[in-house]
Amino acid sequence: MHWKIRPRQLASVAILTGLALAIAACGSYGKGYPNSTFNNTTEFNTAIKSLWDTLLFWGTFVFILVEGILLYTVFRFRRRSDADEPQHVHGNTALEIGWTIAPAVILTFIAIPTVRTIFRTQARAVPNALQVEVVGHQWWWEFRYPQFTTRTPTGRVDTLVTANDLYLPIGRTVNFTLRTKDVIHSFWVPQLGGKRDLVSNHTNYLWFTPDTSLRTTVFNGSCNEYCGASHANMRFRTFVVTPTEFDGWVQHQLSPAAFAAAPPAPATPAPADTARAAGAPTRPASASPAPVPVTPAVAVAQQPTGYTFPMESLPDYASPDTPTPAGLSFPDNITGDAQRGAEQFARSACIGCHTIRGTVAASPIGPNLTHIATRSTIAAGIYPNDARHLRLWIKNARMMKPGVAMPTLGLGQRDPVTGATVSQSLGGLSDQQIADIVAYLQALR
Amino acid sequence: MATVAASPTYAGAESGEHTGLWSWLTTVDHKRIGVLYLYTSLFFFLFGGLEAVLIRAQLAGPNKHLVSAETFNQLFTMHGTTMIFLAVMPLSASFFNFLIPLQIGARDVAFPRLNAFSYWVYLFGGLFITLPIFFAAAPDGGWFGYAPLTTRQFSQGVNIDFWVLGLQILGISSLAAAFNFITTIINLRAPGMNLMRMPMFTWMSFVVQFLLVLAFPVITIALFFLQFDRFFGTNFYEIGAGGDPLLWQHLFWIFGHPEVYILILPAFGLVSEVLPTNSKKPLFGYPVMVYSGILIGFLGFGVWAHHMFSVGMGPIADTVFGLTTLLIAIPTGVKIFNWIFTMWGGSIRFTTAMKFAIGLVALFTIGGISGVSHASPPADLQQTDTYYIVAHFHYVLFGGSIMGIFAGIYHYFPKMFGRMMNEKLGSWHFWLNFIAMNLTFFPMHFSGMLGMPRRIYTYDAGQGWETFNLISSIGAFMLVVATAIFVWNFFRSKSSGPLAPDNPWDAATLEWSIPSPPPEYNFAEIPLVESRYPLWDLTHPERTSEIPHTHEGWSDQEKAADAKPVHIERDRRSAKELGIPMPLPTIKPLFVALGIVVMLSGLIFIHKEDKSAAAALIALGAMMIIGFLYAWVTSPLEPDHH
Repeated sequence: MHWKIRPRQLASVAILTGLALAIAACGSYGKGYPNSTFNNTTEFNTAIKSLWDTLLFWGTFVFILVEGILLYTVFRFRRRSDADEPQHVHGNTALEIGWTIAPAVILTFIAIPTVRTIFRTQARAVPNALQVEVVGHQWWWEFRYPQFTTRTPTGRVDTLVTANDLYLPIGRTVNFTLRTKDVIHSFWVPQLGGKRDLVSNHTNYLWFTPDTSLRTTVFNGSCNEYCGASHANMRFRTFVVTPTEFDGWVQHQLSPAAFAAAPPAPATPAPADTARAAGAPTRPASASPAPVPVTPAVAVAQQPTGYTFPMESLPDYASPDTPTPAGLSFPDNITGDAQRGAEQFARSACIGCHTIRGTVAASPIGPNLTHIATRSTIAAGIYPNDARHLRLWIKNARMMKPGVAMPTLGLGQRDPVTGATVSQSLGGLSDQQIADIVAYLQALR
Repeated sequence: MATVAASPTYAGAESGEHTGLWSWLTTVDHKRIGVLYLYTSLFFFLFGGLEAVLIRAQLAGPNKHLVSAETFNQLFTMHGTTMIFLAVMPLSASFFNFLIPLQIGARDVAFPRLNAFSYWVYLFGGLFITLPIFFAAAPDGGWFGYAPLTTRQFSQGVNIDFWVLGLQILGISSLAAAFNFITTIINLRAPGMNLMRMPMFTWMSFVVQFLLVLAFPVITIALFFLQFDRFFGTNFYEIGAGGDPLLWQHLFWIFGHPEVYILILPAFGLVSEVLPTNSKKPLFGYPVMVYSGILIGFLGFGVWAHHMFSVGMGPIADTVFGLTTLLIAIPTGVKIFNWIFTMWGGSIRFTTAMKFAIGLVALFTIGGISGVSHASPPADLQQTDTYYIVAHFHYVLFGGSIMGIFAGIYHYFPKMFGRMMNEKLGSWHFWLNFIAMNLTFFPMHFSGMLGMPRRIYTYDAGQGWETFNLISSIGAFMLVVATAIFVWNFFRSKSSGPLAPDNPWDAATLEWSIPSPPPEYNFAEIPLVESRYPLWDLTHPERTSEIPHTHEGWSDQEKAADAKPVHIERDRRSAKELGIPMPLPTIKPLFVALGIVVMLSGLIFIHKEDKSAAAALIALGAMMIIGFLYAWVTSPLEPDHH
């Protein structure tokens, strides 16, 4: 056989290619990595990064040392002749003591900053910290802000609650209280710091302060403890905003559901001023019509009294591209009516799980929908919050997200869990009814 | 290979009664059981590899939907469970079985029939936990099975039932084998084979057996709690009744971390045989290698909560477990340096086994270094449950355990099957495997630190993970090619490789003093040992002249007769001709093992409306266990010799 490639030569080529790739990877460091853990965005992450730098330094040192000696040994002492007879050393006490002590010394250099960082980052949060309660659900995030409440006309005290969108003010320490309604989840925004688990029957805490050098932006977050079928679909967005913007957001979110009556709305584009027509009290009217349904919120983004992160400037990494399942579609030619949708919502299965403040819908099981139109995504960060995805979602959520608790509601749809076909008697909704409900939801800004 | 004796193969070695399917079902010969372990675990290794390839195919790009979320979750659960319990542990067990009696100069293990029982429990348990994947009912709670996700409330199907019961079954196999090998090593060593003269593989295996005996009862308890929660309505982990999921985590990792050393120490032992042999040098610092192995095993029980730094144990616990974890790096580092200095100044022959052994030293070092980086709890909070961890433990388990086991297979194949493996194909296997392994797992360090969580069946585009995942997937497909070369080499060499001499590698330990493959009785005459390297005493006395040679452990007659220590065994007569009593083959252990599986599988049906299937299976299984166990203990091990 004249095939001359030998595996070792192949290996040399591969190792050189690998090195080139590694160097290329280092060259692009920091670019295009929206979830990178190497940041000085919070004091928590700065502390971790500084530990990591120590670990990386000693790790690289040990790596080069050990692999260097190994390579040298392997090349230097390769067998040249079968007659070679080496010296028969059985051990060397001094050497062995040496390489027992050396790692111990290196480990001390790692242990000291480690212990200091443990106690510093796990100390009690400052007393005036922003409190956020994180509640994990299979598979979505509930964020509660107990310091911000409002009294309903009936005298009930409502807390600011949102789902899958977390807003944090720059420069203020935030103290998270972490709980779960079901299995164990883990709360993680890699850009802002380490993760902490949400453990059933336990309460955990985590705090950090978004650094004042930050500008208004969004980071991705995710669940990091395997929690069942849709573990991969339990994502959220963290909007880090200026204190003024944050105050505006709080005020807006505390306002009642911004819907009284609205004219019939086509699917896309939705009328830009539904909410204003409904007379949302917290936001002064703005004249600019917008091309996409969620944009009206944007129109008031710069207003100090009502703030939502401008969704049209949502970066690519925060805009979900999950493909919709094949075989699930919604006719384009149906126009929804928000008023009819509101009535439909109030007498459908929806109110069995959802809350819309100020309406009959007051169930705490699913995400609070009071200001759903201001959210960046639906289904815990996996679909954009637009008419098309909302309609498909209501029609057959269980096809859109494996294992989800939200039932399949579209008339004639097959529920992938029960295998049953949704009928009128099971509370099934026609395409028109779904379009109406979506028009209503999109009016809830 | 000047003196190739006409080596008999297994089939030819013995009389007709030792061939055919029935002889394999009834065998109590530790060597044949070792071979059964090898075949079975290699099969599961390929199966687990296939699961990994599907995982990598799904993750090759963003938003791919080759398999559903449910299937993916079953795949990663079964990949972990298969590789740990059905591939790497029993691959090690294959070497325990085949090698330990040969290395200590014994004719069999202490309890040959218990040994067969261990194998059959493993086989049936492995099938029990594996087969459901063909019915989309495979376990899907992760190999770590965290409660409360695995309680009935959150996992209503039979998937987790198979996992709980399957692991219980496999635990029986591991425990029975562990007690067997501890008894064997303590009692059946040849005269003069003191503990500090035992080959390093036997030493590391000895440590592993104690880890098994101490760690497995813990997971057995944890699983019993879960089993009772799932089947009989107790509330150990039921959160609605105030159960504490952290109980599961603590129990699981008190088992789970020693388990890591159960997986790696046998590979360390194999490499400690291969490196000196192919360097023409004794192992550097033998006593330190023994002590560091023991120390690793001991410290391994004090570090479990480093798997739990994100659960909120508080600063004191984080500190303690962080520091104990850092400590383990010391004895591990000592081992690495001692291996390198075994080669230093030697005359290194690059057999395929040697390449894999050097590969272990190179790759395990990387896994060790990344391990230190998550021994630091705050740093770990950015690493745990990301692909960085996946990278780390594949460097430890693939770069460590699997490389070591491949080294062992190439090294011991001639002794096991009486034929040589093809070195050229072996070289291709090694280099492809080495490159593909790094291609698969190194990029995971990056994807992890750049925010990619573990155990996600899909991820969105634009997260900065695409390139790394694509490279990983390409590497995984290359691993398939590398493994295919190995399988081809294995079976081709087994049927038509050149016949192996007794001691093809010029090694130093007792297993190489007997024919390849060894006769059923191993040693026609039990060897007498006077140093750590008995065979080199004979063939290369200059290599062992510096270490003490004593007759300590010999009987007075042996001392008085000035008996010749080890000799190259030339006797090819059968056990009967030599008058060596051999244990009788028996089918009973197989049926006891089957009874256990039948009985426990009854629980799968216990929640059915109709309880008769459950009752019938439980009753049948229990009857099988009792009946065959009774027949087993009342039948003699060996034929009468009066």
